[in-house]
Amino acid sequence: QPLCGFSNAVVQILRLHGVEDYRAHDVLQDPDLRQGIKNYSNWPTIPQVYLNGEFVGGCDILLQMHQNGDLVEELKKLGIRSALLDAEKDQEKK
Amino acid sequence: GAGGPLARTIRAKLTAALQPTHLEVRNDSPRHGGPPGAETHFGVLVVSGRFAGLPLLQRHRLVHEALRAELAGPLHALQVIARTPQQWQSDPRAPPAPPCLGGSKR
Repeated sequence: QPLCGFSNAVVQILRLHGVEDYRAHDVLQDPDLRQGIKNYSNWPTIPQVYLNGEFVGGCDILLQMHQNGDLVEELKKLGIRSALLDAEKDQEKK
Repeated sequence: GAGGPLARTIRAKLTAALQPTHLEVRNDSPRHGGPPGAETHFGVLVVSGRFAGLPLLQRHRLVHEALRAELAGPLHALQVIARTPQQWQSDPRAPPAPPCLGGSKR
């Protein structure tokens, strides 16, 4: 359970897509990681989202990807079927 | 102008770097437990032709670059909405910021 509203937004979005199998690292527990990951990605803030080892962006970018359908596509490329696709199917059946 | 010194700096640097057609700078520090006058958490909405053809990641990097010194210093969190003028015209809305969950103060 994240302590930061922005990180929680990321968790909630992933949950909406049915993605529960991901690694999360709490930078509040690890000051070296907190600075190190900012150096690594050349990105100044936390949370940072990586898909298949590739830096995707922060909470704002993930939210927009979720809203415009890009996240469903990116998950598909990783072999992950978004739960939202099944939700849409249920909608169509009704 | 409105806001404290950091708000004014953010506005000035983003204006100089990106020549926005529309710019909103919002101090969210009070919503994250900051004392009066705190300038640690900001949200910016930047509408600029400079973003045309750029994916979101590159747009955000442009914003960060303009505020590099501040982000290495007192600016702890920065929400970014980066749109082209065409995008802004077709949808002049921005999502609300996520609520604070207390962070390291908990």
